[in-house]
Amino acid sequence: MTRLRQVAGGIALSMFLVSLAHAGGFQLNEHGARAMAQGGAFAARATDGSAIYFNPAGLGFQNTASVYLGVSAITPATAFYGPRQKNPGEKTTLVSMTFTPINFYVTYPVMDRLTAAIGVNNPYGLGTEWPRDWAGKFLTTKVDLKTFFITPTVAYRLTDYLSVGAGLSYATGSVLLERAVAVTSIQLPEPPRVSISMGAKGVGFTAGLLYKPLAELSIGVSYRSSVKVDAEGNASFNPNYPPLNLPNGAVATKITLPATGFFGVAYRPLPDLEIEADVQYIGWSSYDVLAIDFKANNSTTSSPKNYQNTYILRFGGEYTLDMLHLRAGYLFDRSPVKTEYVEPLLPDANRNGYNVGLGYDITEHFSIDVAYLFLKFKQRDAVNTIPETSFDGTYTTYVDLWGVNFGYRF
Amino acid sequence: MNAWRITFAAVVALVVVYCTGCIDAGPAASGPNLGNATVVRYVAIGNSLTSGYQSNGLYKSAQDYSFPNLIAGQLRLAGANIGTFEQPYYSDPGTPGADGKASRYEIISLVGPVIGPRGLTPGVPTNTALSRPYDNLGIPGAVVFDFLDTASFTSKALPPRSNPLFSLILRNAAFGRNILSQARRLSPDLVTFWLGNNDVLGYATSGGASPSSPTPSTAFAALFAQALDSLRAALPTAKIVVANIPDVTAIPFFTTLGPKIRPSLPAGVTLKFQNHGETGPGTGSTSLTDNSVLICLTGSTYAAYLGKPGGKWYRDKAYPALPPGIDTNQVFGFHPQNPWPDALVLDPAEITTATNTIAAFNQTIAAIGAAKNAALVDINTFFNGVKANGYSWAGQKYTADYVSGGIFSLDGVHPSSRGAGILANQFIKAMNEKFGMNVTYVDLGAIPGIPAPLAKTTTGIPVIPPEAFSELEMLWGAR
Repeated sequence: MTRLRQVAGGIALSMFLVSLAHAGGFQLNEHGARAMAQGGAFAARATDGSAIYFNPAGLGFQNTASVYLGVSAITPATAFYGPRQKNPGEKTTLVSMTFTPINFYVTYPVMDRLTAAIGVNNPYGLGTEWPRDWAGKFLTTKVDLKTFFITPTVAYRLTDYLSVGAGLSYATGSVLLERAVAVTSIQLPEPPRVSISMGAKGVGFTAGLLYKPLAELSIGVSYRSSVKVDAEGNASFNPNYPPLNLPNGAVATKITLPATGFFGVAYRPLPDLEIEADVQYIGWSSYDVLAIDFKANNSTTSSPKNYQNTYILRFGGEYTLDMLHLRAGYLFDRSPVKTEYVEPLLPDANRNGYNVGLGYDITEHFSIDVAYLFLKFKQRDAVNTIPETSFDGTYTTYVDLWGVNFGYRF
Repeated sequence: MNAWRITFAAVVALVVVYCTGCIDAGPAASGPNLGNATVVRYVAIGNSLTSGYQSNGLYKSAQDYSFPNLIAGQLRLAGANIGTFEQPYYSDPGTPGADGKASRYEIISLVGPVIGPRGLTPGVPTNTALSRPYDNLGIPGAVVFDFLDTASFTSKALPPRSNPLFSLILRNAAFGRNILSQARRLSPDLVTFWLGNNDVLGYATSGGASPSSPTPSTAFAALFAQALDSLRAALPTAKIVVANIPDVTAIPFFTTLGPKIRPSLPAGVTLKFQNHGETGPGTGSTSLTDNSVLICLTGSTYAAYLGKPGGKWYRDKAYPALPPGIDTNQVFGFHPQNPWPDALVLDPAEITTATNTIAAFNQTIAAIGAAKNAALVDINTFFNGVKANGYSWAGQKYTADYVSGGIFSLDGVHPSSRGAGILANQFIKAMNEKFGMNVTYVDLGAIPGIPAPLAKTTTGIPVIPPEAFSELEMLWGAR
């Protein structure tokens, strides 16, 4: 109960301070409580506004106008044991934070077979904050990445069995990076701290196909393109020591947010039971390096990432009792981060997710969904980390995620 | 229908049960400890590297970060009841040079940069009332021979050694007439033994001039075997750690000046220098484009005189007359008859001599150390890695570059405080592996860097006055 109260407080305080964090890499997968309660296995059904994210073709089978609005509360708990270069047993815990990504979808059947929709959500995000003077302060003390995707979408039902959909995503984002700067040679009263904040914009697209060969069976395929974002901003060093020629001022970087695709199969063994299995592919190899250009001295700091393409397996189901929908799911999310690249900026690991939730149709028009997801990261040993990191140790992480959505169908 | 309800309930129950029991406790790491070992007294035997000598002087604020003192701190954290690690402190600004002023180099200005002694009144020895030998028996200038040598300490303060630090550190013949007997008197259960650097370093830093050859490898092997035999016999159960000799040609003392001089060579002109043993016209010639010829940091003053007629080197060295064949009306450094002096250059033959000598020494150290059941710290391999790739530690990058690299102090030979931390961690690693200890490492991020006035910086040829190097000659000169 204590935890519930804390989460509620978090929502109240930061409802629209959208942020971040917790699927493999810096992807977020909480885009609607109905899908979230079912392990995110939703691409073969896509029966609410979150179809804009999971499979735009799902909109083609939605014959009513709707509004679907929700928020998630994500509370990661990470501990780091190390660094082994200093003390393998020293424990540092991530500063406690709650992130609240939102989702908001409006759908409208423009004419028979054609549905238009628009969605706003946060497909990528990341946030970690470590104690200001911890052993990894020269690597990171804080990172906060936020993205907003605004995605106008149309779907067309070609036949009673087949629908296609596509959308255009306009992405905006911001990133804040903070750390201490290592000056290995001369003595300084205290190390300078750098705070880099950048804003970014980019454009991508989505497309999907949903096929219902039988009344009980549906198959969905969807694709979300990578998004190249050009980020620009400012770096400030504090305290600033003139002889160090620290590159205060303009900074820029380019990041490619990875492409992702879903393939899902849903089956209805009983009239009131739906089950679905999905595999999601994420093209994380687009994230090979984080190179920040400092204009003040035309220098670049490069941090190799070399993420690998990866996948998430998703399983979920929904059991309907009159107005009540009981949901559960499971997911396995394979980390895109190779062992030697594991870093406190994003202490990634393979993870199992256990989902439960329920939906309730309050009236014919109005519904509410809630979801809970427990993400258990596999204990991750970072060994022989790359020289840029040189920070070996062990990370343990688990995350509580709550989601609530309100739906209105006209 | 009921079956589905039950299944669903079971899944939910599974999640609830799993979530209450599945939070990782983290790795089963025991805290810092000594394993089965006990350490009640730790004694460090060595030379300037062990003493905490730094930036051309011995002074308290550097001795505080001597690698043995850092090791002692980590041992204490691991439960070793070693009390105070006693060192022969010399208050800042430290030991005097030949001119009677403190010999310590400081960054006088980052513009230039200008580096050298400030002409300060030297410090004084402060831990002289200690009624037993020091735990840190590192003596700047000590060679392997000194470990067993029972000649009076004061005699070493006289020419040819002219090294007063034996008297300072060994102090009292009643504590023992050589390093071994003073160490034995302390009955240590842990000893680090790192001698041999000076048996080749002095040859190298004097440009192969003084002494004109390293300790011969066979003599070194005999001396080293005798030293470890005696140490093991005196302390049969002690844990002994030996370290080998790094490649001296990679220290900033040799790698800094050549690349700085190179841009000042006019097109088509090469640096003319004296090869090993030459006193007259130089037969050496280099374009300084590779590291086949190394210019000593001691030449920093003379770099400003390149390409101009003159004989500052001969005036500074108080030559009664110019050596035969030398003509200081010729341009300095660019003409064979006014060559870059032998003492300021390590020519290819000298580099080969130093390198081969170190390889032979290290074979001896490895073989005899193993025979005496000592842990070996392979500083040579470690430092070759540092030279090639730098040294990274939790987001900090250290290199072997002069001043900016962070590892070396301002004399370009001795480690900085942070460099000493890196050394201490290599010793701790070897000790943990050999003795089954779990001693944690020194936090490099918590060690101060080299003091510097925070003014605007440029990168030019470091300006170091020639007299500043007299201490180096004292340390490694004639013996």
